[in-house]
Amino acid sequence: MAILALTGVTRSFLRRTRTGRRESFDALGPLDVEIGDGEFVALIGASGCGKSTVLRLLAGLDEPTSGQVQINGQPPRELQAQHSLGIAFQEHALLPWRTVESNLRLPFEIAGVAAPADRIGELVSLAGLQGFEHARPAELSGGMRQRVAIARALALRPKLLLLDEPFGALDAVTRRRMNFELERIWLEGRPTTLMITHSVDEAVLLADRVLVLTERPGRVRRDSAVPFARPRSAALMRTAEFHRLADELTAELEPA
Amino acid sequence: MRLTGRFLHLAMGCAVLLLGWEVIGRAGLLGKTFPSLSAVLRVYADAPRWALLVRSSAATLASVAAGYAVGISLGAAVALLAHLVPSLRGGLDRLAVLVNALPVIALGPVLIITAGRESTPAALAAVPVFFLLYTSTRVGLRGASPRLELVLTTLGASRRQRLTKLEAIAAVPSVFRGMKIAASSAMIGAIVGEWFGAPSGLGVVVLNSMQNFQIPLLWATVIVIAAITLSAYGLLTLAERAARRRIGECDG
Repeated sequence: MAILALTGVTRSFLRRTRTGRRESFDALGPLDVEIGDGEFVALIGASGCGKSTVLRLLAGLDEPTSGQVQINGQPPRELQAQHSLGIAFQEHALLPWRTVESNLRLPFEIAGVAAPADRIGELVSLAGLQGFEHARPAELSGGMRQRVAIARALALRPKLLLLDEPFGALDAVTRRRMNFELERIWLEGRPTTLMITHSVDEAVLLADRVLVLTERPGRVRRDSAVPFARPRSAALMRTAEFHRLADELTAELEPA
Repeated sequence: MRLTGRFLHLAMGCAVLLLGWEVIGRAGLLGKTFPSLSAVLRVYADAPRWALLVRSSAATLASVAAGYAVGISLGAAVALLAHLVPSLRGGLDRLAVLVNALPVIALGPVLIITAGRESTPAALAAVPVFFLLYTSTRVGLRGASPRLELVLTTLGASRRQRLTKLEAIAAVPSVFRGMKIAASSAMIGAIVGEWFGAPSGLGVVVLNSMQNFQIPLLWATVIVIAAITLSAYGLLTLAERAARRRIGECDG
């Protein structure tokens, strides 16, 4: 059953030409994507192929020029109003004046519900930050901050989790470790997830399915299932199957 | 150890400066209008003149406080309005710039006949404070990280929640910065306002002692004005620093 469906979605923007005239250009689509309940989908593509536009459309931050975006049969704005969306960005997305615990409490405050007694503690341990409950973001490393941001995105058990380059600002070693951390966190509730990434390895390691977008206007060029069993390990990344799939997907990223 | 060393340097520098003042004043090197330090200090030791300074300081501080409070409240409130109602933004920005461009001194006579002699100092103190608080509040409210705005929107925050949980808090350091700069402007406004014929105040003492050639009293009054302004500035600098430490520049 598709929980998330983009049907014939396009998005055009206006740009100014060299002569100062405004003209419309297509950034996206037409795009048709379906994501099933509990599925983890990674979206990769060259820079400027409209990945972030897809995410903004799903988060209800933008409207498609034509076509339909539906999550559980509802427009994203509806989910937003129901506090059923979770989102984590590349970096700088924690309130700097709040402690870890207080940042994790934010989604509950916004939804106007009391955080269940043990839920905050649960999220702290999900992020692996026991002992840092009262630390402020400036006192944490980049990886720790990112785990808080992901835990916060999961706080209200969202119907849809959106991850925009969640580890893009981290160094390679931390990034790899965070990939496994994310899988561990994700396996606890298996929320339907769409992750945008530049890294093919990261996509293959984490996702059930990888979508490759074409260059502008972004369309689905390839839709590959990732057959590996979970939880995945570092050993998987050394197998020939892993490399074959990653190489194939990388080849798809080359300009046609 | 180094701190005491630096303090020693500062104290020695001050001593040299004050000693120089005394010598130049006594010798009359800079003319009759430059009194010696001891002559100025004797003003503070003289009970009636000390009482005059205390009374006048109280009057001026009352005007400054009133104008400061009104200017801050109005400036911050109008900035909030501009922030929340985009269609009013352009107009209010222009209004604030206009208020700042007004030659405040030229307004004095008009204020005297409309607001009255007692309220003119407070009114003239309020004008620059309004502008500075409008600007700093606007900048502060706008300064919240766009990514945090997106996070809150995605979580389903209402306009009010975005304001109270993010923008208003992120604006605090900038508002304090505005308040810090506005303190000196309020004092200038109040003193100038008193020159238009207020019944009492430090500005009145400055004017009278100048016209009556009471040079040591004039200097003593100016020193009081400077001391009050600098202490306010110092206190607000500490407050601003504390706010910045607590809240951080809003991009963490």
